[in-house]
Amino acid sequence: MNKMFVKILSLCLCLVLASGALVACGNKNDSYVIGLSGPLTGGASVYGTAVKNAAQLAVDEINAAGGLNGVNFTLLALDDQHDASKVATNYASMVDQGMHVSLGCVTSNPCLEFCTLSKADNVFFLTPSASANDVVKEDNAYQMCFADGNQGSVAADYVNGLGLTEIGIFYKSDDPYSQGIYEQFKANLNSSIKTVEALFTDANTSDFSAQIDTLKGCSFIFMPIYYTPASLFMTQAKGKVADNATYYGCDGFDGIESAEGFKIAEIPQKISMLSHFNSKATEGKAGDFIKKYTEKYGTETLNQFGAAAYDCVYAIYNAMKAAADAGENISPDMTASDLCEILKKQFNGGFSYSGATGENIKWQSSGFVDKTAIAYVIKEAN
Amino acid sequence: MDFLSALINGLSSGGTYAIIALGYTMVYGIAKMLNFAHGDVIMVGGYTMFLTLMALGHPLVALAAATVFCVILGVTIERLAYRPLRGASPLAVLITAIGVSFLLQSLAQIIFGSSPKMLVQLQISGGITLGALSIDYSTLLTLAVTAVVMVVLSLFVKYSKTGRAMVAVSEDRDAALLMGVNTNAIIAITFAIGSALAAIAGYLMLCKAPSLSNTMGAMPGIKAFTAAVIGGIGSIPGAMLGGILLGVVESISYSVPALAPFTDAVEFSILILVLLVRPSGILGKMRREKV
Repeated sequence: MNKMFVKILSLCLCLVLASGALVACGNKNDSYVIGLSGPLTGGASVYGTAVKNAAQLAVDEINAAGGLNGVNFTLLALDDQHDASKVATNYASMVDQGMHVSLGCVTSNPCLEFCTLSKADNVFFLTPSASANDVVKEDNAYQMCFADGNQGSVAADYVNGLGLTEIGIFYKSDDPYSQGIYEQFKANLNSSIKTVEALFTDANTSDFSAQIDTLKGCSFIFMPIYYTPASLFMTQAKGKVADNATYYGCDGFDGIESAEGFKIAEIPQKISMLSHFNSKATEGKAGDFIKKYTEKYGTETLNQFGAAAYDCVYAIYNAMKAAADAGENISPDMTASDLCEILKKQFNGGFSYSGATGENIKWQSSGFVDKTAIAYVIKEAN
Repeated sequence: MDFLSALINGLSSGGTYAIIALGYTMVYGIAKMLNFAHGDVIMVGGYTMFLTLMALGHPLVALAAATVFCVILGVTIERLAYRPLRGASPLAVLITAIGVSFLLQSLAQIIFGSSPKMLVQLQISGGITLGALSIDYSTLLTLAVTAVVMVVLSLFVKYSKTGRAMVAVSEDRDAALLMGVNTNAIIAITFAIGSALAAIAGYLMLCKAPSLSNTMGAMPGIKAFTAAVIGGIGSIPGAMLGGILLGVVESISYSVPALAPFTDAVEFSILILVLLVRPSGILGKMRREKV
């Protein structure tokens, strides 16, 4: 080994040790730093912008009200362009800038990466909108939105509360997404509710006359499918399914109003989907949020992502406050890992929060959220 | 009543299968080859209608344009891909047909993208109500078109000069050639008729379900091929019978909750059953064939 190389190597090692020592001194910030990585530019930027805006709104409100026992919060939002490969850089930058706690990432794939990175340092995160089940596979990870895999039971809870005696179900039996939600829905549906079921297989199916025939007597049709076949079904069911019937879908319906060639205004039935936020609310906590958000940022980026982010910041703040009130020692110079343990104890210990995306929201220790779904109305009956 | 409406639905989708199956069966009967690209000709017809509708806006103009384009396409495919292989092993022709099928699907995907297009201009909604039973106009149209196509085609084959030449080529190509029949021309005409039928079938499919994608012809193509085999491939009434039978079985199976998830399996089981009892199909001619 040549001498020059040894010198450089030892210099490098010294630097590494020194930087380690700096980190170990603890946090140099005088405020609590909330890290966030999301698509602030690019195709998914409407989600990232909404989350950043809403989180900033919540942070400003908290600071204006005196922060946490006099200590302010700072939001650190970085752009990942919905690209998982940018997350590591963002994460390192957040750690450098003394992140205490995080909202994770806005979208699922980057958030999976974030989950792995944050587990290594034990940084607590509560994601507003990354819905993949695996996003919360580590114990430091929590979700504000419904996980993909829980939509079936959440939808069943909603339908159980409607007081219907008979519902129709239309699903795609060879698709894990649809079949999975269907099975979970059936398992959680009250046995007193009669179901009329129709299904299709093969992604190329486009003639749904047989299925429409089966379901035409139903006044409520649950459709855990993607919006392309759903829009086709609705187009063909015009004049057959009662005009005052309701179509109810899961997140697969998201974006149905802009499906190519689909004339949603010509569908007579009501179209709604499982959601946790009503973007047309005028009262309650959701209404308050909408008012404050649109005053500051306009209506263009108003969506459920922002509402969930607003709730995330407040939930974290409330949990920290509850822990401080219970005698835990919380200060800006503590490490993210210590704060994570305190927050985990709160979130796993029956902490509940009410906000724009639900009342009395609780968390399972798995990280999944427990709250009541609402039917977000995409289009009212004509 | 549920059974009755399932039956009528079945007649309607069966009618579409029958028209597609006619294309398979005529080409098989006369050129002795399975044209697996037939289903994709339907798709090309669909996109032609889409483009014409965008430009001119009238459904019947679109249908006419699609028919003409499909005929040209069918004859071109025959000329470029299949005629050079006349006399080659049936396997080579079969693989070529599958290749043409993929070529058409991929071209459509490159040109139009893979996301389905809605073609609501073609959709025929509404229907007549008879008591508790309601029948769509599109169903009536399909049934009427199917009946007309079958009658016209039977008369054409039986009485016209070209039709009789087709029968002659079908029975013995070499003998027909010796009798002065231009077999190449007859086969080209067969492809032209088959492709025109594919365009009509595409129109009927889009009347009911206005969704256009590059793979829209694949499954109906396979179902119609099954129908043609069930009815006896090579036989015109057989294709009609097989198509209607398959459509009815499909629709009834969808309406029975216990069978619904296995509808495709039920349909193809019918094929197996029929082939076990009558290896040449319900109306097929019994004859020994060297495979």
